[in-house]
Amino acid sequence: MSTELEPQTPEVTENDLEALIGDRALRRDDHLNAPGFVIRPDDVQDVLFDLRDEAGFDHLSCLTAQQYEDRYESIYHMKKYADPTQEVSVVVPTSVDNPVSQSAEPVFRTADWHEREAFDLVGIDYEGHPDPRRILLPETWQGHPLSKDYDQEQPQVVTLAEHANPIQPDHHDEESDTMFLNIGPHHPATHGVLHVKTVLDGETVVDIDPDIGYLHRCEEQMCQQGTYRHQIMPYPDRWDYVSAGLLNEWAYARAAEDLADIEVPEYAQVIRTMGAELCRIASHFLALGTFCLDVYGDFNAVFQYSFRDREVVQDILEDLTGQRLMFNYFRLGGVAWDLPEPRDEFIEKARDFLDELPAKISEYNDLVTGNEIFQVRCNDTGVLEPDLAKSYGCTGPVARASGIDYDLRRDDPYGYYENLDWDVITRQGCDNYARVLCRMEEVEESAKIIEQCLDLLEDWPEDDREIQANVPRTLKPDPDTEIYRAVEGAKGELGIYIRSDGTDKPARFKIRSPCFHNLSSLEEISEGDFIPDLIASLGSLDIVLGEVDR
Amino acid sequence: MIEGTLIQAGDTVLLPERIGDLTGLDQFGLAGELLAAFLAAFIVGNLMLAMTGVAGPWAKRKITAAFTDRIAVNRLGPAGLLIIVADSVRLLSKENIIPENADRPAYDLAPIVVASSALLGFAVIPMGSGIHLADPEVGLVFVFAVAGIASLGLVMAGYSSANKYSMLGGLRAVAQNVAYEIPLVVTGMSVVIFTGSLQMSEIVAVQNQPLVDFGLFAIPAWFAIVNPFAFVLFLLANFAEVGRNPFDTPEAPTEIVAGYQTEYSSVYFVLIYLGEFLHIFLGGAIIATIFLGGPAGPGPEALGIVWFIIKIWGVFLLTQWMRSAVPRVRVDQLIEIGWKGLLVLSFANLILTAIIVGIIQ
Repeated sequence: MSTELEPQTPEVTENDLEALIGDRALRRDDHLNAPGFVIRPDDVQDVLFDLRDEAGFDHLSCLTAQQYEDRYESIYHMKKYADPTQEVSVVVPTSVDNPVSQSAEPVFRTADWHEREAFDLVGIDYEGHPDPRRILLPETWQGHPLSKDYDQEQPQVVTLAEHANPIQPDHHDEESDTMFLNIGPHHPATHGVLHVKTVLDGETVVDIDPDIGYLHRCEEQMCQQGTYRHQIMPYPDRWDYVSAGLLNEWAYARAAEDLADIEVPEYAQVIRTMGAELCRIASHFLALGTFCLDVYGDFNAVFQYSFRDREVVQDILEDLTGQRLMFNYFRLGGVAWDLPEPRDEFIEKARDFLDELPAKISEYNDLVTGNEIFQVRCNDTGVLEPDLAKSYGCTGPVARASGIDYDLRRDDPYGYYENLDWDVITRQGCDNYARVLCRMEEVEESAKIIEQCLDLLEDWPEDDREIQANVPRTLKPDPDTEIYRAVEGAKGELGIYIRSDGTDKPARFKIRSPCFHNLSSLEEISEGDFIPDLIASLGSLDIVLGEVDR
Repeated sequence: MIEGTLIQAGDTVLLPERIGDLTGLDQFGLAGELLAAFLAAFIVGNLMLAMTGVAGPWAKRKITAAFTDRIAVNRLGPAGLLIIVADSVRLLSKENIIPENADRPAYDLAPIVVASSALLGFAVIPMGSGIHLADPEVGLVFVFAVAGIASLGLVMAGYSSANKYSMLGGLRAVAQNVAYEIPLVVTGMSVVIFTGSLQMSEIVAVQNQPLVDFGLFAIPAWFAIVNPFAFVLFLLANFAEVGRNPFDTPEAPTEIVAGYQTEYSSVYFVLIYLGEFLHIFLGGAIIATIFLGGPAGPGPEALGIVWFIIKIWGVFLLTQWMRSAVPRVRVDQLIEIGWKGLLVLSFANLILTAIIVGIIQ
């Protein structure tokens, strides 16, 4: 019938891209995952507009900035929401003396925060950026920590007199009728240390400005100082630290395995898939509980119920990995060890949990999603339109609740997902209620996946249980290989960019955090709402500041 | 029967008179009567404060824990009861931090106003077993009036703290109390149509007549049974009045930190906290008096106070239940429910009751 209704997923070949970009491409700089085109710094908007509108690359997945000896480089990793296996990298080199590049913010809203981060950590200036401030480090910071001339040995001492207190300004505008309110960094509803500068007109939110970076722990740089083989894997557990550990580990594992060309045994993939989905369930339970904390107030039963149920998942994960939170269970090429002995007991325990799950879900539906007051509170608040969600690079349940049918487990298959029978949940509501429902239904889908994995694991022939591929003790991928790979984390697309320089440590390690993108949309979805809706929207985006700030 | 002298109302004997009579203080004229009245007020006040003392640090925790699959305090004393002592010491020994820009003495007065307004209300409540301080002819109006003073305390607290969260909480408290006090009073008045009197003892007495007599037992004419619609309306409005879910917007811990009480610490915090619980209990006392037959219950009349306390705690339990299970409405929805819903319904109830009572009589 109408071709407009169909998602535009025609395969765009490299020739098409070459033709589209034409003379603007100075040369090719292909990455392992995608063709790369090097363009001039003042062609950025032009090329990105063309790629978005002509070739359908509507997802600016990530922006990586880095410094070489002779140049700075910004890499725009672009994908399609309709088909994330189609990727293209736009590489924008700028000179060391004058690192100025055109801002991509007019094309993709998400470039706003990404370019601020690139400026903050690497030191590239983006011309035409609407808000060129630091984002992770304090405004008073000197230098850019990931640039070559930055002296990392030199501690930065900020004297008390110079120290800018981020919550010192308590008035926005003396003349105006609005009220400026600092929500956070310590506030019951910020789910960590987030500081939201809010301008209120009565109870209505006029303007907000999330101030992040309180939990910045230099995760990217720490990963750059670790060896591929063993030293990086513990870090991902600490990004999204509320029980999404295995999902995070998989992000690194996938990128590094593709980079070093490691095949993972099928048996290990099944264990990985099962573990990852357990983490997803735990993470979604927590999201439900904390969201209810925001809508019900403290002392509510749902929060405790969800923690009670999450506890069962944690027990199973503890049996599997030996740890409750910081699992460190994946290895390049497989997992650390097989299912715990006795296997039957473990499998039975996991099955018991799955058997009890439907009753629990229906309890939540009675208590939470079926409650009229809850519906009145959540329907039509925090509305995130699909176009906006795409522009902000939202992924995961946040995007799927806005009707964007995007799930890397299905669209860019990895692990054992493509051999299993499950569905991607989407909802059309675009509001807080849809996001809650979406997560609840995803729990059921995850349970389906786990069930099938358990069946597979139970029947797996005993002499064929290979948990790790044969991986050399020291991994040294080919120099100047670049790769961007993503997995479906609990919160959305969790991507890793790695550039190798021939040593056993990555030369650049960039984390694409789904929470970072999802949080950046908060400004758009909460303006004009009331304060309670701002809090609810923040809760329904389900951010973990450890992953936002890295 | 002991004859009272100072406060003679109906045929009930009030606590001050009884004390005056028992101690012989009534022989000393006005001074003696005053002293007896103080003694009586002291007893009632302490009874209520003791109840809040149990409710705040201990019962509330235990009740919430029961609702949420937990155990709560169980280390100090039997069933953790000594946590009351520990908490008192903890709260009272904390530094009382007063914000630099606080508007004093409003800041200092607010906790006292909040706590004392609730205590005043108990003066006219007949609690059974002869515990009844005063029985003025306008008892019901008096209790609504003094409970309403708490709003003033909340505004004072919210405004004088020089904190924006407090300010928002204070504003919300006023908007909420104005919106819900009218339905509360109007619904209360529908009871007066039945009784024809605002006097508390009269209201209780009317309810103790049997509604339906089955011979062996009789269903009393409690207004909760006579007019359940008014009872539900009153319960709802009362949730808003005491600021508990689904109407706990003035505090709204996840939105505006702790509302008007954000800046209060130490003793002041204790006073505000006490005031809140006293208000819940006062709400329970009003509900018990005008809808649940006051101290009436099976057994000898001396057990009246026990039944009365059970009824109050029943209402308290209900507020805690709501807190555990019901989401909070948004502030605009709260106002909408108040003005467009409860107000209309309460007037409809009043008019209908008036018509029905008119026809019956």
